Amino acid sequence: MSERKDIRTLILRIAEIVIEELKLEDITPETFDPDMDLVDELGVDSMDLATVALVLQDEYAVFIDEDDYPNLKTIRLIAEYLQTKLRTG
Amino acid sequence: MGSESVKERQRAASPAPGGAGTAVVVPGVTGGWKFSELLAPPEVRARWEKVRTYFFLRESTYDMTNRCNIRCDGCYYYEGDKQFARENDDPEAWRDLMRREKARGITYVVLAGAEPSLVPERLSVCFSEAPLGCIATNGVRRIDPAVGYKIHISVWGNDDTSLRVRKAKGLLGRQIENYAGDPRAVFVYTFTRENIGECAGVLDTLAADDCRVTFNVFSSPVGYTGPLRHDAASLARTRAVMGEMMDRHPGHVLFSPYNAVAHTDARGLHDLYRCAYPRRNPSTALGLGRSFRQYRADLTWDRNAACCVPDTDCDDCRHYAAGSAVVTSRLYRHATDPQTFRAWLDYVDTYLAVWVMGYEKGETLCREMIVPPEPLPERKP
Repeated sequence: MSERKDIRTLILRIAEIVIEELKLEDITPETFDPDMDLVDELGVDSMDLATVALVLQDEYAVFIDEDDYPNLKTIRLIAEYLQTKLRTG
Repeated sequence: MGSESVKERQRAASPAPGGAGTAVVVPGVTGGWKFSELLAPPEVRARWEKVRTYFFLRESTYDMTNRCNIRCDGCYYYEGDKQFARENDDPEAWRDLMRREKARGITYVVLAGAEPSLVPERLSVCFSEAPLGCIATNGVRRIDPAVGYKIHISVWGNDDTSLRVRKAKGLLGRQIENYAGDPRAVFVYTFTRENIGECAGVLDTLAADDCRVTFNVFSSPVGYTGPLRHDAASLARTRAVMGEMMDRHPGHVLFSPYNAVAHTDARGLHDLYRCAYPRRNPSTALGLGRSFRQYRADLTWDRNAACCVPDTDCDDCRHYAAGSAVVTSRLYRHATDPQTFRAWLDYVDTYLAVWVMGYEKGETLCREMIVPPEPLPERKP
């Protein structure tokens, strides 16, 4: 239950960062579909993802490997990735 | 001196805002600087915001014709199979291609090989469908001013050298006559092993005619072992001359100290930054590996050959076009400490000034020739 709540909190915060960094309009963290494919559906590119990764790295003090970017294609996948990183240190 | 000690020196010289105690060391990232700290100085933040508005650019390149009006030693076009592609001369086929490219997300087109000025109608068609782009030309023929792309005019030394290497008489004068005062034009001086000493004279001439110049470094085609190929000594001399020219013609040279570092290192671009073009990048998930194509004059393309200058020897690649994408895409590798990040911003600012109409280069943020980031490890499978 608590883990589900944690992932939900992470998803909302990541959505907030993505919206802010990519200057998305007409969308809120609550309405952001966490399973939307950021690359195929939103048109996010490697530079956008790098920017988001750097901001997430600041906030959560985890290392996000460049080679992992292709796996971070949805907000949920990013949240799960971060959760694993935070758990394992 | 190892890179760690250089990083430590940079860190000591540039304390984090609020003191070193505010920096958070993220395991796996050297420097220990937060991204927000790197962005804190107003001039850095302003430059970041300026360049990031162009992150939407996604390029592909197109050979426009098999023909050229000069023949140069070491020419990339007349290496490999692409020169034998049957040229598509139907303007509507080109229009259709541009529309399809736009539909798959391409926002920037580079029209090159062999000599695009010989097919003016195709250039007009492309411009009408894809308004952002660049034409690589030898500058012998003036391209219609209505075609509002950036125009890169290749310069390979003084007129004596051009006559010998390119078999073209009085080339610089013709190039200047065609493009002096043209806001589209950027003259691209390619340093070979032989013409380093000619650069100052050529740049004096170009600057006197108020022409803007950037630098390229000759990168051998596959199998080329001729006299133009660089060695360690010629790369070092090239770097020195680049520095002198930036000081001598600051208003006309579009370059930065970090450009000089990236393009004259003994290691090529791939070894330094890991090339992101499909030819060296198996991943199709993101970025250039996903979207870049290099079309031949028959409008076909081959992922295994696709890069900005096909048939270049990848180990010797220091091409300005390659660096514009490869160095720029390595934001993450440069967000490590203030100097490295500033240097990267200079590089991106330079690339945009060279490639994007209307973009003006700002003041250089990092005047030192810094040590480039450690090369990336091999890609994960």
